[in-house]
Amino acid sequence: MSDFSVIGKRTAMVDSSGKATGLGKYADDFSVPGMLIGKILHSPYPHARIKKIDASRALALDGVVAVVTGSDAPNKYGILPVGHDETALAVEKVRYVGDNVACVAAISESIAEKALELIDVEYEPMQAYFDPEDSMKATSDLIHPEKPGNVEKDYHHVFGDPDQGFAESDVVIEGRYIANEVTHAAMEPHCTLASFEIDSITGNQGRLTVWSSTQVPYYLQHKLSIVLDMPMSQIRVIKPLVGGGFGAKSEIIPLEIIAAVAARKAQAPVKITYTREEVFWAHRGRPRTIVDLKTGVKKDGSIRTVAARVVQDGGAYCSYGVVTILYSGALLGALYDIPNIRYDGYRVLTNKPACGAMRGHGTVNVRFAFESQLDEAAARIGMDPAAIRNRNLLKPPCLTVNNLRVRSYGLPECIEKVVTGSRWAERKGKLPRGRGLGIACSHYVSGAANSIIRSDMPHSTVNIKVDRDGGVVIYTGASDIGQGSDTVAAQIAAEVLGCSMARIQVIAADTDLTPVDIGSYSSRVTFMNGNATLRAAQAAKKLIAEAVAKRMNCSPEDLIFSDDKVWKKGAAEESVTVAAAAPTVSGHVEGQILRGSVQQKRKDEGVKERMSFEEAVVTAMDIQGTLTGVGSYAPPPDARGGKHKGGGVGPSPAYSYSAQVADVSVDEETGEVTVHKIWAAHDCGRALNPVAVEGQVIGSVWMGLGQALQEEMVWKHGLLMNPSLLEYRSASGVESPEIECYIVESIDPEGPFGAKEASEGSLAAAIPAVANAIFDAVGIRLRESPFTPERVLAALRSKKAGAKKLQLTRNADPENPGSFREHGGSLCFKGKGPVRHALDPAMVRPGTTADAAEEMGGAD
Amino acid sequence: MSLPDFQVLRPRTNAEAVELLARHAGDIRIIAGGTDLVPSMRQKLFTPKFVLDIRAIAELNGIRESAAGLSIGAMTTLAAIERHPAIRKNYSVLREATITVASPVIRNMATLGGNICLDTRCLWYNQSLAWRKSCGFCIKKDGNLCHVAPGGTKCWAAFSADTPPALLCLGAQLEILSPQGVRIVPLQDLYSGAGEAPLKLASTDLLAAIHLPAASSGLHGAYKKLRIRGSIDYPLAGVAVTFRNGAGNPTANSIMKDVRVAITAVNPAPLLVREAAKQLEGKPFGEATAELAGELAGELAAKSARPLTTSALTPEYRKEMVRVLAKRALLSLA
Ligand SMILES: Cc1cc2nc3c(=O)[nH]c(=O)nc-3n(C[C@H](O)[C@H](O)[C@H](O)COP(=O)(O)OP(=O)(O)OC[C@H]3O[C@@H](n4cnc5c(N)ncnc54)[C@H](O)[C@@H]3O)c2cc1C
Repeated sequence: MSDFSVIGKRTAMVDSSGKATGLGKYADDFSVPGMLIGKILHSPYPHARIKKIDASRALALDGVVAVVTGSDAPNKYGILPVGHDETALAVEKVRYVGDNVACVAAISESIAEKALELIDVEYEPMQAYFDPEDSMKATSDLIHPEKPGNVEKDYHHVFGDPDQGFAESDVVIEGRYIANEVTHAAMEPHCTLASFEIDSITGNQGRLTVWSSTQVPYYLQHKLSIVLDMPMSQIRVIKPLVGGGFGAKSEIIPLEIIAAVAARKAQAPVKITYTREEVFWAHRGRPRTIVDLKTGVKKDGSIRTVAARVVQDGGAYCSYGVVTILYSGALLGALYDIPNIRYDGYRVLTNKPACGAMRGHGTVNVRFAFESQLDEAAARIGMDPAAIRNRNLLKPPCLTVNNLRVRSYGLPECIEKVVTGSRWAERKGKLPRGRGLGIACSHYVSGAANSIIRSDMPHSTVNIKVDRDGGVVIYTGASDIGQGSDTVAAQIAAEVLGCSMARIQVIAADTDLTPVDIGSYSSRVTFMNGNATLRAAQAAKKLIAEAVAKRMNCSPEDLIFSDDKVWKKGAAEESVTVAAAAPTVSGHVEGQILRGSVQQKRKDEGVKERMSFEEAVVTAMDIQGTLTGVGSYAPPPDARGGKHKGGGVGPSPAYSYSAQVADVSVDEETGEVTVHKIWAAHDCGRALNPVAVEGQVIGSVWMGLGQALQEEMVWKHGLLMNPSLLEYRSASGVESPEIECYIVESIDPEGPFGAKEASEGSLAAAIPAVANAIFDAVGIRLRESPFTPERVLAALRSKKAGAKKLQLTRNADPENPGSFREHGGSLCFKGKGPVRHALDPAMVRPGTTADAAEEMGGAD
Repeated sequence: MSLPDFQVLRPRTNAEAVELLARHAGDIRIIAGGTDLVPSMRQKLFTPKFVLDIRAIAELNGIRESAAGLSIGAMTTLAAIERHPAIRKNYSVLREATITVASPVIRNMATLGGNICLDTRCLWYNQSLAWRKSCGFCIKKDGNLCHVAPGGTKCWAAFSADTPPALLCLGAQLEILSPQGVRIVPLQDLYSGAGEAPLKLASTDLLAAIHLPAASSGLHGAYKKLRIRGSIDYPLAGVAVTFRNGAGNPTANSIMKDVRVAITAVNPAPLLVREAAKQLEGKPFGEATAELAGELAGELAAKSARPLTTSALTPEYRKEMVRVLAKRALLSLA
C-alpha cells in the first residue's frame, strides 16, 4: 500500500466537523421565509374506501392555509417502473393504518395538528389482509385490483437440475424459517422542505426547490416531475447532510411528494418532518419472510442443490418489492459453488406499511435460513461448520449457475481470518454448556449491474474542475448519507492528481449543480461513483500532464504526480530553494496577491524538471483556458446477468464477502443471549479508507445483531404496536459486543483501485452466526428471528423433560415456526383476545379467521 | 408531535404551590423532571390547562439526614440519589433500583417524586392520539374497553417504575401537602391498584418528601430488573428484596429478619409480597440455604404477579421472570 499516498490511509470524513459541532445542516435545519408546516392525516383503518373527505372545518381554523387530498395530485408513482402504485395522498381508498389521507399546511405545527382533528373523513371498511399466506387466497377486496391473489409478483427459477441434485445428495435437510419484520431506525427522521419560485415573467409558480433527506435525489426529481406534471429541469433537489438511511430513504417517501403538492396549493413553502411514529409507518424496511428451504449435500460436504420457497409479507405497496424478492433468489448464488438451484419467490401484498429496501436488501433473511441449514447439514454428515464452508468455495473467475459473474473472491481468506481469530479449532464444541461459537458467511453486490430504469445511461457521472491556484472541485451526484462517499471521492481525486486532500472540495447531490448519479443504494457508490471520479480525475490529469510534458521536454507518461508536485521521472533531487518556495495550499506561501507574478516568473525560468502542483495547473490552464475532467461509469455488458425473467436483479460488477464467528452465552433460566464477541472479516476489494470500512463492517454486524436478538415490529391486526424507539428495541451501546474487524483485500480488477462494497455484505452473516452459536451453546435450533429471551426459553423448556412449558402466542414453537403470528409471538392474549370497539378499525370482519381460535386457549 | 397548549405556573414555595393547585384543581398537572409527563402530553394523554413547574421550590430538593432517618425531597434527581453517600451506604437497595432507571441522561432530569408518581403503562395506552384512535381507544383514556383483559371493566396497565419496590422494602413514608395541611402516608397506601387511576392522590396534593426510617438503615438489599436492552428500558418486571441479619454480611448460620420482597411492573401497582416476608422470616440464610430461600421467594413473588399483555413480552414470560429475579436477588446477597 506504500505506492499510494491517500488511498488506504485512515482518513477523517470530510464532513465530520459540521456533524460534530452542529454547524452541519440536515433537512430539518433549513427554513425559508414564509414557510408553513405540513402535517399529515393518517388512516386509522387498515383497508377502507374513502367515501367523503370534508376539510371545511379544518380550513376555517385560523392559521390553516391549505388542505390537500388525493385529488390534488392523482398521478401514480413508485420507485420501480413496474410498481407505480402510490399516489401522493390516498385516492379512493386507504391500504394500511398510517396510510396518507390528507395534509394540512398551517403557520405552526400545533395549528396543523389541531386542524387534522377537524378533517371529517367517511370511510367504508373493507376486508383487510395481514398474513401473506392468507392474503394469497384473497378473491375479494383486493389491495390493488390489478394484482390477483394480492400477489405483487412471483418468480419461479430453475438453474441446473435441482431434482437430480437432490438425488445425488447423501443428506437432504428441509425446514421452515421465519424472520420477523425489522425497520431501519435511522437516527434522522425523514424531512422535506419544498419551495416554489415565482416565475419572473409570468408571475405564476415557477421552479421548485426541494431539500430532502434522501439517498436518491435524482429519482426524487424524476418522481416529482411525474406527480406534479413538471419538467425535471424545473425541479431542483438538494440533499443536505443525511442522518442515516439504510434504505429507508432510497426511494420516494410520501412526505417528499406531499410537501411539494402542499406547497403548490398553499402557494408557500412547506416543510414536513415526520414524527418517529410516521417514520415507522413510512417504513420500507425488511419484510417478514417465510423461507421454506431444502438443501442437499454429499457426504464430502459438497452442496448439490438448494431449493427455496420464499414468501415476503410486503405491505400495501410495491415499493422495491419486485427487486427484493428477486435478490432473495439471485443471491442464493455467488457465495458458494452451488450447481443446482430452484427458487420460488412470492412478494405478497398485505394491509400494512410497505416494505422496501433495507441494508442487505433481499439477502438477509434467506441467508439466515441457508447458513443455519448448512450447519444442520454439517452436523448430519459429521463435518465441522467451518470446513463445510471451505468445501464449497467458488473458483473464480467464474459464472455461477444463475449467471452471476464472480471475479475477485476473498471468502477463503475471510473464513481463515475469523477461524484463526476466534481460535475456532481449539474452542468450537469444547466450551462449557451455555457457551458456544457459531460461524456464518454472507456477501453482497457492489451496485446493481442494471439500473432500476433500464437504459444505457451511465450509473455515475462526475465532473472535476481545477482552479488556477490548484484547488480541485468535484461535482458528483452521489449522495453521502453518512457512509462517507464524499470522502472517498475526494481521496480518489487526490490520489490520481497527486495533490493533498486539502485542495479538494466536494459538491454533491444537488440536481442543479451536479451531474446525475442514480443514488446511494445497493452499495454502489464507492464502486461506481468511485470509478467515475477516477476517470474524471484522470482526464484532468491528462490535460495537466500534456501541458507540463511540453515544458519539461518529455512525454506525459514520464511525469509523476505526487505530494502536490509534478516531476519528471529520474529528476534530480529537489533543490532547497524550490522546496521552500513550493506553494502548498492556497495562500500559504506567497499569498494570493503575489501569486500571479510568482507564477509568471517561474514560467519564464524556462525548461525545468519539477513543478509544484499549482504551477503545473497554471501551465495547463495557459493552454486549455479551463481545466476540467469528466468521467462516468456503466457496468460492463458481461456483468449484467442472464436473460431469464428477473435475471436483471442480482448481477453486479463485483461482490463483497464476509465471514463471521460469534461467541455467545445463553442464560438457561432467563433465555437471555449474550454475545461476547464477533470476529468479522470483510472482503472489500481494497480498503480506500480503512477506518470507514471498519465503521461500516462494525455497523453492519451490529445492525444484524439487532435483528438477531431483539428488533421486531410487533403487529396486531395491522396496527403497529411498537412505533417508537423505546418499544422497537434497536440495540444500544450496552448491547454492542466487541466486534473485531478484519479487512480482506482481494483487489477487484474493475473496482476503483480494486475496491468493492463494504457497507452491507457483513450484515446477513451476523444473524445465522448467532443462531449457530446458540445451537452450539445449548442445543436449540432457533428457526425464527429475533432470538428474544422468551423464544429461547420456550425452546429450552420444550426440550427439557419435566420442565414447565412456556407458551408463546398460539403455542408457537421457535424451533419449528409454522406461520406468521400476530405479534410474532412476542405478545399473547389469554382467553378470547381483545374484544373490539364498535369503531375499532382493526375489528375482525366476517371472512377472516376468528381471533379466538388463533390466540392462546385457556381462561385467565 | 406538538405539546397541547397550556400555561406554566412557577411557584417558589410549597405554600404557593399548594395554593395554585387548589385554585386550578382538576385543570392542573405537576411537572417535576418532565421525563414522563412531557412525552405523555405530546401523545395527548394529558391536556391540562395549567402545568405547575415545581423546580424552583428549593425546599423540595435535597437529601437530609437525621436521627429519624433520611428525608429525600421529592424534587431530588435520581442522579443525586445515585451519588449520595448515605444512600449508597445505608439504603443500597434504593441506589441499585435507581441506577436501572432509563439512562444516565434521563436520570439527570428525572426526580424521585416523579418516579413514585409515575403513570401506569400499557402498549395500548402510551401511543399517539392518531394511534389510539385507530384502535377505538381504551378504558384508561378516551374509551370504554380494555384490549388486554377482554370484556373487563378494569384497567390493567402496569405500574412500571423501578424505585417503588425498593422504597416499599425500606418502609418509605410520604410527606404529602394539600390545602388541608401535611399528612404522612406509608408508600404502599399511595397506590390504588387500579390501572386507570393508579395513585390515591388528589389533584390538589403535592408530594413533598420521602422519608426512609432509621430502622431500615443498613438492610441488605438487592434489586433485579427484566429488560431487553441493558441501557434504556422500562422494567418489564422488577423485584426488590431486603432483610437484616445482626452480623454484617450474611454467613452460613445467619437468620433472616425483617424480610421484605416487593415487585413492580407486573401489576397496576407495586406490591409488597407479604406472604414471602412471612414465610422467609426467621429462615436460615447461608451458602447451603440461600438457594431454598430464593426458590421460595421466587415462587411467592411470582404468585403475586398478574402481568397482562401490556408490553412486548408475553405475560407468561414476565411472571416466570419474577420468580427467577426474586431468587437471583436473594442469591446475590449470599
Ligand atoms: C426513554 C425513557 C425510559 C424510561 N425508563 C424508565 C425506567 O427504566 N424506570 C423507571 O422507573 N422510569 C423510567 N422512565 C420514566 C421516568 O423517566 C422516570 O420514572 C422519572 O423518575 C420520572 O420523574 P420525572 O421527575 O421526570 O417525572 P415527571 O414526568 O415530571 O412526572 C411524572 C408524574 O408524576 C407527577 N409528579 C411528579 N412530581 C410530583 C410531586 N412532587 N407531587 C405529585 N405529583 C408529582 C407528575 O404530575 C406526573 O404525572 C423512562 C422515561 C423515558 C422517557
